[in-house]
Amino acid sequence: MSTLLTNISVIDGKIKRSSLEVLSRCNELAEKNGHTSAALIIDESPGDYVDELKKYGPAEIYTIEGPIFKNHLNTPVLRALSKAVDHINPAVVAFASTEGSKDIMGALSANKNAAALPDMSEFDLTENGVKGKRPVMAAKIVSSVEAEGETIVLSVRSGSYSVVENGSDPKVEAIDFSFDDGDLGIVLKEIISASGDKIDLSEAEAIVAAGRGVKDDEGLKLIDELADLLNAGIGASRALTESGVYDPSLQIGQTGKVVSPQLYIAVGISGAIQHVAGMANSKVIVAINKDPDAPIFEISDYGIVGDLYKVLPPFIEELKKIKQN
Amino acid sequence: MKFYVCIKQVPDVYAPLQIKDGKLIQDADRNVLNAYDASALEEALVLKEEHGGEVEVVLVGPEKGAETLRKGLAMGADKGTHIVTNGDSDNDSYVYANVLASFFKDKEYDFISCGKQSQDSDAGLTGSMLADLLNLPYVTNAVGLTFDNGSLTVKRQGDAGQEIITLPSPGLVTCSNDMNEPRIPSLKGIMQSKRKPVETISVSDLELDESIKPKTKILSFEEKSMREPGKKYEGEPEEIAREVAQLLDTEENLI
Repeated sequence: MSTLLTNISVIDGKIKRSSLEVLSRCNELAEKNGHTSAALIIDESPGDYVDELKKYGPAEIYTIEGPIFKNHLNTPVLRALSKAVDHINPAVVAFASTEGSKDIMGALSANKNAAALPDMSEFDLTENGVKGKRPVMAAKIVSSVEAEGETIVLSVRSGSYSVVENGSDPKVEAIDFSFDDGDLGIVLKEIISASGDKIDLSEAEAIVAAGRGVKDDEGLKLIDELADLLNAGIGASRALTESGVYDPSLQIGQTGKVVSPQLYIAVGISGAIQHVAGMANSKVIVAINKDPDAPIFEISDYGIVGDLYKVLPPFIEELKKIKQN
Repeated sequence: MKFYVCIKQVPDVYAPLQIKDGKLIQDADRNVLNAYDASALEEALVLKEEHGGEVEVVLVGPEKGAETLRKGLAMGADKGTHIVTNGDSDNDSYVYANVLASFFKDKEYDFISCGKQSQDSDAGLTGSMLADLLNLPYVTNAVGLTFDNGSLTVKRQGDAGQEIITLPSPGLVTCSNDMNEPRIPSLKGIMQSKRKPVETISVSDLELDESIKPKTKILSFEEKSMREPGKKYEGEPEEIAREVAQLLDTEENLI
């Protein structure tokens, strides 16, 4: 019997939903194959999250505690993971694909001489390892991959699996850990909190994108408000970056960014093929456009035919209500 | 300041793609410098212009990679090293990182940089693997770099926001393509590149340990299926706006 270890990512005092998706998948695979699903929390105060984590059914919970984990720093996180891998000896170490896991996955796999499969959209166990799928070539192509070995490190794109609540009474164990600040290597001076256009579009979970239909300051204000509310990145079609309304780095499309968020809200964007090439891999697409024949409606899941200046205010108000409940 | 920039030749993801029997058919004439590496090189060139020093590009790849190495020189790198691999190798990040680590083990430098990922495989592993193998401090996903007092100040896009990090020398940094617009080689740059020194070595010259073999395998490729259109909502703007907002919560669980 082997152990499937899910690293639980805590960001801004909250368990990342995407790591619960990974844990749910590992629980399922453990049950099917007679393995053990274990969860690991590396944090300044991991005990704060143990009760919540129990709701999601791991058979074992490991914690590694230290003040050094207040903010993400690769050296201490790597040391902690390395220690956990030695202690637990898992067959699989699974992460949600976040900036934090991308930062350390290569180093961890090199350090443990393990195979690494990043950014998977699905995965399963094989006799001696893991197989699965991952999008490549700007997400135009899906490749089937596999790896064998004693330990395999993998990460999973958010939204690939559903979170399943499944209360358990797991064994909880704290792994001893100490860290000498002299070993840090790098120095974190400051964190500038993300909001609005500072969110990296290629990794954003939600994106609000503005197009030609957004004509004035009032429209831009509505876009800002909607993005703030959803903690979304702001993107734009070529029309609005070329006219200088938005920074060129925010252009989504064939010549700009290729994005694949969970939620993409296209506001006043007609959906020219060059734009669609950059966002068609979004999970859920909402389009707001007054032209019922706009091509964007051919790929949107929810197409709202209407004037964005009339649609956005009640849309924002309703979302606020939902968030408050 | 000595900067090494690791660059890779990749298929142009914007060129037409074909899949035949699970294999990806790529037009061999449509190979490009990985866009993330181009940003890393651009940044190194800007730092050199401001602070002096030398920028060397290193490319691991088959013989035809020479044209991409030449592009790096035409952009402004001072010299280049081409570590030639077998054309149809199935090297993964683990092999690339070990080849580079072996190359760098007796080199002196202030910083090594590379793209945060390559635009064909999007794996994003090689940078931090190389840092671990060389036991270097590192920062990934840089969106801005400045040099002061012998260290790099790196602006990194992290989960909680943009982190401002000091990276001492020697160190390694991986770059996002959000940080700059890589320069297009000028005619003068192209002419000059032909006279710049290029060292060509074979992977076998590096005497890699026999155990260095790919740890992952690509079995096949398939095209991503196209999406179906969903529902269109027409009518009173207020009503349909509220309806869709609620569906995003109840049906999609996204709010």
